[in-house]
Amino acid sequence: MKPCNRRHFLSASAAILACSATPAHALWPFAEQKGETSGPADIKGTIFKGDAPEEIWKWSKEGFLYSKLENNSVACGICPNRCVLAPGDRSVCRSKVNHNGTLYSLAYGNPCAVHIDPIEKKPLFHFKPQSKVFSIATTGCNFRCLNCQNWEISQMKPHEVRHEELFPAEVVSEAVKYECRSIAYTYSEAITYFEYMIDTARLAHEKGIHNCWISNGYINKKPLLELCKVLSAANVNLKSYSDAIYRKLNGGRLQPILNTFMTMHDHGIHFEMTNLVVPGYVDDPDMVKRMCTWILENLGPDYPLHFLRFFPKYKLDRLPPTPLSTLIRFREIAMQEGIRYVYIGNVPGHEGNNTYCHNCKELLIERHGFYMPTFNMDGDKCKFCQTVIPGVWI
Amino acid sequence: MVMNSITNLVATKTATNERAIIRVVIATGISSVVTQLLLIREFLAQFQGNEFVIALILFNWLILGGMGTLLARLVTRRGKTPSVAKLAWLSFLLIAISPLMILAIRILRDIFFIHGTSVGFYPTFAYSFFTIMPFGLLLGFLLPYSLFVLRVDNKDYPGTFVYMADNLGDVAGGAIFSFTLVHLVSPMQAVFFANLLLLFFAWRLFPSEKRFRPAVLAGTMMSLLALIAGIFLEKPSLVPMKGKLVHYRESRYGRITVVQDQEQYTLFNDGSPTFSTQNVSMAEQAIHYPLAQIENPKNILLISAVGGMLAELAKHQPESIDYLELDPEMTTVEFHYGLLKNIPNLNVIHQDGRAWLNQTLKTYDAIIVNLPEPETFQINRFYTDRFFALAKDRLKPDGIFSFSMEGYDNYLGEPQRRKLSVLYTTVKEYFNHVLLLPGETIYFLCSAKPLSVDIPQKLIEKGISTYYISGFYYGNVTTERITQLNDLMDTSSPKNSDLNPNLMRIMFSQWFAKFSTSPITFVSALVLLLAIYMTRITREEFVLFSTGAMTMGCEILVIFAFQIFFGYIYLQIGLIVTVFLAGLLPGAWLGDKWSSRGRQILLSTDILLIAMLGIFLLMVYLVGDGLPVIFFLLFGFIVSLACGCQFPVALFLRGGDNPAATRVFSADLIGAACGTLLTSVVLIPYLGIIWATICLIGLKTISLLLVGTANETM
Repeated sequence: MKPCNRRHFLSASAAILACSATPAHALWPFAEQKGETSGPADIKGTIFKGDAPEEIWKWSKEGFLYSKLENNSVACGICPNRCVLAPGDRSVCRSKVNHNGTLYSLAYGNPCAVHIDPIEKKPLFHFKPQSKVFSIATTGCNFRCLNCQNWEISQMKPHEVRHEELFPAEVVSEAVKYECRSIAYTYSEAITYFEYMIDTARLAHEKGIHNCWISNGYINKKPLLELCKVLSAANVNLKSYSDAIYRKLNGGRLQPILNTFMTMHDHGIHFEMTNLVVPGYVDDPDMVKRMCTWILENLGPDYPLHFLRFFPKYKLDRLPPTPLSTLIRFREIAMQEGIRYVYIGNVPGHEGNNTYCHNCKELLIERHGFYMPTFNMDGDKCKFCQTVIPGVWI
Repeated sequence: MVMNSITNLVATKTATNERAIIRVVIATGISSVVTQLLLIREFLAQFQGNEFVIALILFNWLILGGMGTLLARLVTRRGKTPSVAKLAWLSFLLIAISPLMILAIRILRDIFFIHGTSVGFYPTFAYSFFTIMPFGLLLGFLLPYSLFVLRVDNKDYPGTFVYMADNLGDVAGGAIFSFTLVHLVSPMQAVFFANLLLLFFAWRLFPSEKRFRPAVLAGTMMSLLALIAGIFLEKPSLVPMKGKLVHYRESRYGRITVVQDQEQYTLFNDGSPTFSTQNVSMAEQAIHYPLAQIENPKNILLISAVGGMLAELAKHQPESIDYLELDPEMTTVEFHYGLLKNIPNLNVIHQDGRAWLNQTLKTYDAIIVNLPEPETFQINRFYTDRFFALAKDRLKPDGIFSFSMEGYDNYLGEPQRRKLSVLYTTVKEYFNHVLLLPGETIYFLCSAKPLSVDIPQKLIEKGISTYYISGFYYGNVTTERITQLNDLMDTSSPKNSDLNPNLMRIMFSQWFAKFSTSPITFVSALVLLLAIYMTRITREEFVLFSTGAMTMGCEILVIFAFQIFFGYIYLQIGLIVTVFLAGLLPGAWLGDKWSSRGRQILLSTDILLIAMLGIFLLMVYLVGDGLPVIFFLLFGFIVSLACGCQFPVALFLRGGDNPAATRVFSADLIGAACGTLLTSVVLIPYLGIIWATICLIGLKTISLLLVGTANETM
């Protein structure tokens, strides 16, 4: 065997490096690319090692569901991230910390966003129409969505924002004060402040105030079952029907969200689904068909589905908005597949905002933004054919 | 006799070789400057177009050049003999890398980053560093290597001549690009034309009997093929992931593409979706929020536009609309693809908005600014006290002035709150009533008379119908949200002025916050490396380092000041960039002539540079708007003259041998790299133009002291 001199070694190394560094799909770079193949495959968040504060603050509460492990470590049981935190660590969602072997939520009674919204804004089109909803959020999210609308709070730690002090009883009394019939846990991700949400929801439930959960649905079954006991309605994002896209654009997984829908369905919770149609990622008609098939097989035809128009936002700001015809087509596909109530969102003035009776096809609710110039409901029934319309109307 | 003939023959051959090599150096200068300018444009089209990114690209370019220059020292250390043939082959390689680098920047982006996403500071830094690396290192290597080749036959060949030849190429390259190529050809065509000369001269480096050998011809053809392939791959490399590319044009201001996805057309300006058909809510808000406040708006001024807004504007039936758009290519595309509707009484003006307001005698009922966020010095000028004063001056007494900033859905983040507060305090000085309307975009309405928050009611009274405002306003823009936003404004915030662009540094903070990063690691590493470098360089090298830093700093300051006073005038700014290069050549010639006076020349030129900065400071402070264009041109020329003069002197003082030449070349480049970054992202945004100038004076004073306190042998 010939001895390998330095030049040979370097040439061979360079060749090997060059080959290994070239992804197969880059060999012909102008071949039509799919968004799924570009960049990292998974943007899942990571635990913040040693990032917990020295002392827990006033707005803390021991975790609702966690297990104690060896060496004072803890495992949070709220969401499928199942963060295992050593003492001093902070969870993926940024809201939970391990303080001396106990899991604490740092988002309890310290909402950073408090607003009164129309219920249609959530969007909830089949729940107490034209009612006001007292909406709260603390910081944190268990996802890392590249197009997050609320990144200023969802991607922040509790101590990094301005906040109010509203403990559960005060939230309920504020909702009463402002004549809101519901409280919405919304904006950021309510799963990350589960302890705050469940305590408030229980109190609200006792007072006859509805609880609305606006979420990505990335939650474990046990806490969800607890929530279902006091939950009136939910809007859960079905961001796509592809695990690969969930991992790439959101840093989450698909199956836990499908499980959430099934759990809520099993417990008779009224929920609506939203699907943000991101061009190049979530605009595949075949995927929409598969999604609708799953919905019909597992949940039935009655849960409203909202297709939302995408606009460039946060880090996903170099894509065009969704063409209107894509949304119209998706609505048609979903309705042809058998879903009864399919809406188009973020498109002012489009008929896809209206509700039509699934039986007689008459116009039930004409929506002009948050207004309803036409309202042909008779309680929870269609005024024309007396068919019961799914939802919570009275 | 025979000996004489041989000597003459050798001398003739040496002179011929020298001329050929110098021609290659000049052609390399042309190629490198054109490539550098294309590279900056390419990065702006692929990444965020803020001042930080621009500075980062220039920094990487210069620092890699400096590293490449230092690498050339290895050749001398290892005793390898440089040769003309190797220089030719390396030039071929440089030519081939040039189009490949630009294609790589386009293609690799979607391999390393998720398609459609913007990219934060560290990934941008790493990506630009590694994609520029092959070209940057080789380019930096070639300059001293050319000198080494020249010195094989002529041991005393002056390094200054190579420096001067490179400068000549740089000036020519800058001028060719700014005044010709950018107007006529696409980037890949520009790369092709800019490298043809280098290809020819590199081929001519081979002796005539070897020029047609298969290997040489193959090398030449390979480089030529790479250039031609670049042209053919230009459009395919821009094909969007979704939809169809229906329009592509490189205007002098940036890349304009239009993508059709079914019935929707979206205009991308430097990779960002700027205009889109079907975006009713944005158009309605931008037009009706301000115009609902006026009874009968007759004369309207739009500074830039958003898609669909002219159709909304027509509902108010104004008598005249002046629509200002700097880039003529933009308006052509906007109207052609129906992104804007051609409405009656519309007057499209292609001019800088600020320059127009300075010169016009018209007064308007409404001035509506639709510009992007103030991420660059160029855009910052539209959010300063002077601009607001100017706008007020061109408004009728009851007129309305409006502009917008990126909004939020439910929580106003801290950097954004500081940004809005700075704007609020700045504009409040000129308008009695300032109202901020929240939403995904925040609108500033400014007027001398009270403003109404009930926009839908006002529109009903005027008989104007809308989709978004009439349906969503009361739910999205509630009184509670309006009060909350306006109450969050910190009235003690500093003002944003032309000379102190406070807004810029908040924009940087916001950019870092968006990506949850901080520049601290980068700055710490840079300071550490710089400290190590400082301990290893001589006084002469420090003089060149500081001069390189100061010259780049001055260039940035002058362009910044020029835009403030005259607006963005492409040709004149191109001229300023050119004079900053043009002075180097006569400067180097003078320096070479006077190099024997060593320290005295360094002292004098340092004093001259300090004096020039002092004059610049006084003039900007005292005269400001009244400064003639010639002042900026003269200033640039004299600064570069002094800079050019120092190079041969420093080289002479360092002994002028090959290792010295590489160190001197690299000190100049590394200084320029640091000066770019320091001035753009630290001095101007944090200290303002006056203190930035004082800091540069301070830097040069240190250099002066070092020269002044050196012993006589220096």
